[in-house]
Amino acid sequence: MSLLAPIICDNGTGFSKVGFAGNSDPSFVFPTAIATRGPASQSTRSGPAVPSKPGHLASKRGVEDLDFFIGDEALANTKTPGYGINYPIRHGQIENWDYMERFWEQTIFKYLRAEPEDHYFLLTEPPLNPPENREQTAEIFFESFNIKGLYIAVQAVLALAASWSSSRVTDRTLTGTVIDSGDGVTHVIPCAEGYVIGSAIKNIPIAGRDITQFVLNLIRERGDMAVVPPEDHLKVASKVKENYSYVCQDIVKEFRKYDVEPYKYFERYEGENSVTGKKYNVDVGYERFLAPEIFFNPEIFSSDFLTPLPEVVDTVIQQSPIDVRRGLYKNIVLSGGSTMFQHFNQRLKRDIKQIVDRRLDASVQASGSHIKSSGIEVDVISHKRQRYAVWFGGSLMASLPEFYSFCHTKAQYDEIGPSICRRYQIFGSAT
Amino acid sequence: MILLEPHNYIIQTTLAEKCIKPSTLDVQFVDFDGVRFHLSSTDRKTSLLLSMSIRCWDELVNYGVNDVLKREYGAMVRAEPEPEYNVSLDIDLEQVPPEGEERDALIKSIALIKRNVLAAPFELAFQTQKQLEASGSGQGDLMAMHYRDEEAIYVQASPDRVTVIFSTVFKEETDRIFGKVFLQEFVDARRLPTIQSAPQVLYTTREPPLEIRHVPGLIDSDDVGYVTFVLFPRHFINPEVASATISHIQLFRDYLHYHIKCSKAYMHSRMRHRVTEFQKVLNRAKTEVAVTDRKTASGRSMIRLT
Amino acid sequence: MSNVLRPYLAAVRSTLTAALTLEDFASQIVERHNKPEVEVGCSKEVLLNPLIISRNENERVLIEPSINSIRLSIKIKQADEIERILCHKFTRFMMQRAESFIVLRRKPVKGYDISFLITNNHTDTMLKHKIVDFIIQFMEEVDKEISEMKLSLNARARVVAESYLLAFNS
Repeated sequence: MSLLAPIICDNGTGFSKVGFAGNSDPSFVFPTAIATRGPASQSTRSGPAVPSKPGHLASKRGVEDLDFFIGDEALANTKTPGYGINYPIRHGQIENWDYMERFWEQTIFKYLRAEPEDHYFLLTEPPLNPPENREQTAEIFFESFNIKGLYIAVQAVLALAASWSSSRVTDRTLTGTVIDSGDGVTHVIPCAEGYVIGSAIKNIPIAGRDITQFVLNLIRERGDMAVVPPEDHLKVASKVKENYSYVCQDIVKEFRKYDVEPYKYFERYEGENSVTGKKYNVDVGYERFLAPEIFFNPEIFSSDFLTPLPEVVDTVIQQSPIDVRRGLYKNIVLSGGSTMFQHFNQRLKRDIKQIVDRRLDASVQASGSHIKSSGIEVDVISHKRQRYAVWFGGSLMASLPEFYSFCHTKAQYDEIGPSICRRYQIFGSAT
Repeated sequence: MILLEPHNYIIQTTLAEKCIKPSTLDVQFVDFDGVRFHLSSTDRKTSLLLSMSIRCWDELVNYGVNDVLKREYGAMVRAEPEPEYNVSLDIDLEQVPPEGEERDALIKSIALIKRNVLAAPFELAFQTQKQLEASGSGQGDLMAMHYRDEEAIYVQASPDRVTVIFSTVFKEETDRIFGKVFLQEFVDARRLPTIQSAPQVLYTTREPPLEIRHVPGLIDSDDVGYVTFVLFPRHFINPEVASATISHIQLFRDYLHYHIKCSKAYMHSRMRHRVTEFQKVLNRAKTEVAVTDRKTASGRSMIRLT
Repeated sequence: MSNVLRPYLAAVRSTLTAALTLEDFASQIVERHNKPEVEVGCSKEVLLNPLIISRNENERVLIEPSINSIRLSIKIKQADEIERILCHKFTRFMMQRAESFIVLRRKPVKGYDISFLITNNHTDTMLKHKIVDFIIQFMEEVDKEISEMKLSLNARARVVAESYLLAFNS
């Protein structure tokens, strides 16, 4: 049998992206949610979830653990009495292994319809994932599913690999700064030659969900939300965010532009009441450019977190080892849905460049204008595959012929045990 | 989810989506038993090409797969399949019926392509059985499908029944033992009054059943088992029943392996639970270390981790 | 607990309690080493007589005491192939998590399924009788767990087979 395409599984906090290597888009994108019989687990519980007593013998049939739904079907079934919804991944890390194992089980057999024994798998992990988690993952995949081989990659590194598809990237390097902004949180992760510089990683508590909320607030304040049924508010806000928002270069000028020619810039969102089917219109105004602005001027939205994204990026790079900083400035890569705004990369590039140049000027002055710097190149890479960059990076990596030799195979697992997954090898980069 | 479904989910969802919004497309995916699919848009956005490669195609051709395809898909079947694939369907999105049941039915039937292709030998066997029954004696040909590297399905018609034999190989010790438990239950389950009408199931390890004993090249090892299903005329009494039986029996191997894996997952969650319980017992043995609040010079309390 | 099991566990309990008289003892051979003597095995004089408590040919406990550590190995009942594989899976799963089980050894002693190593450090930081309790409870429950797992496997297999065959009726 010819080798079947490896399966790429990127399980994020909010959404799971799964599909086959070689494709440009994941075959399935669905919420990382599982609806099981019994109440939903409390979301406030801290620490690792304590596994509950699985189906007792007294409950006779003994296949209750097969009675569950995942993904969109899970969300659809939350209303069904007796089912509770659970999110097995929190903050990027797997918290409930029982649920996760069953989530994978159904992903493979129901959605992908693949016999795991015939496939290699590429999974992703967040930066700073404890090695115990990798071992547990390996245990599940090798023991329960008998997969052929496994490679666990760091999400940030895959995002870097995904940027190779951009025409502006000429050398396939794995050095760069990844800005990964999903639904829940935004990470800034520096990578040097395929290894994450863990000590310099920074998180920003502003991401997709917050932008949607911000858009919603703006429309509400204007009173335009009145025509929308309350249950659709968030949906409308997120549609407005996705379809009309862009990043401007100067807010003041942009405001003026809108005020002079409101008809040219104001957009209109047309929606339909999901229950009655009645049509309604919502005006879309300043939020078009204000929404993504919260990355650059967080004070307009939050009062706790006030550092703009460009500054965070600069701090991260400054905290990294000095010999890779140039590489990190030169290759700033975007990943995740919340970086998809138009002109996001130009604005970010300009702002970071300003910070860097200011520092250079200051040091030139401090030296009494004797030493001149040759300047530092700053570039922010934006590409077509940004939304599912991590998945796409995985697809690229797994379609390389050398992928198979970097996988941990079933035979190795049987010989050594789950600890083989502690070793992590990077490959595919030209350097 | 206890039973597996016969249709391919990716084909179904992708086609449904493209019917509404055609766009360029080029995806490859798989189905159970090493079936590969390639779905791509040709020169126009609205014309899609679905190609499938299946391991036992050459065998299937002998058992009349082309007739089945012609019946199911008519003019959609391409005479020359895409290179590296065995069968190709042209799907013209402009020709699909308007949204509604008709369209869903068409999409569903395309998603069932693997099932339909594998159905050919079964249909042939059912027909042969009818003929043999009329003539009263004889044996149909033994049809073999090597649908996986080491496993095969054999189908043979007799005057009063159709015998389906699966050869199974378990790669791993745990799977082999779990598999044995499951297969034993398949054999025993028929004792229940509600499922007396189900096909009879026989199971042997190592020893091939009489029907295929003469076949050369059978692997002689403890890991190999043979599962025989005896289908009686009532299992294919009319086309609907017959087609349900075919869909169902094809997925036997996948069903078995799916449930072996689910059981292992279930065992894992049991063990996780038990291990946490033991952990609690052991933790009870730990003596409480008195925590004294130590202050630093600036008055902050200092806590030593670990 | 079944009545037949009780004397066996009682024997293990009293032997183990008696054996758990450990003291800090530095190596006599290598300077500045302080290792469990039962594992090092170089100085015969600090090793005590190992002892086997056997319930039947399939179930036994080996206790190897020494001056600063004791090693306890258990052979768990395995009546058939299924129990053997379940037992193997379970012990391996547990040993995989040996880190959190302080007294658990990562590998069993040859001929046994699971081993514990208790050192003087453990008896200093933990209550001795509670450690004994833990071992006894483990022995008690592991048998139960394995037979429950076996039962549930059979129950599952039956349901799975029935649902598959039932579908032919429709």
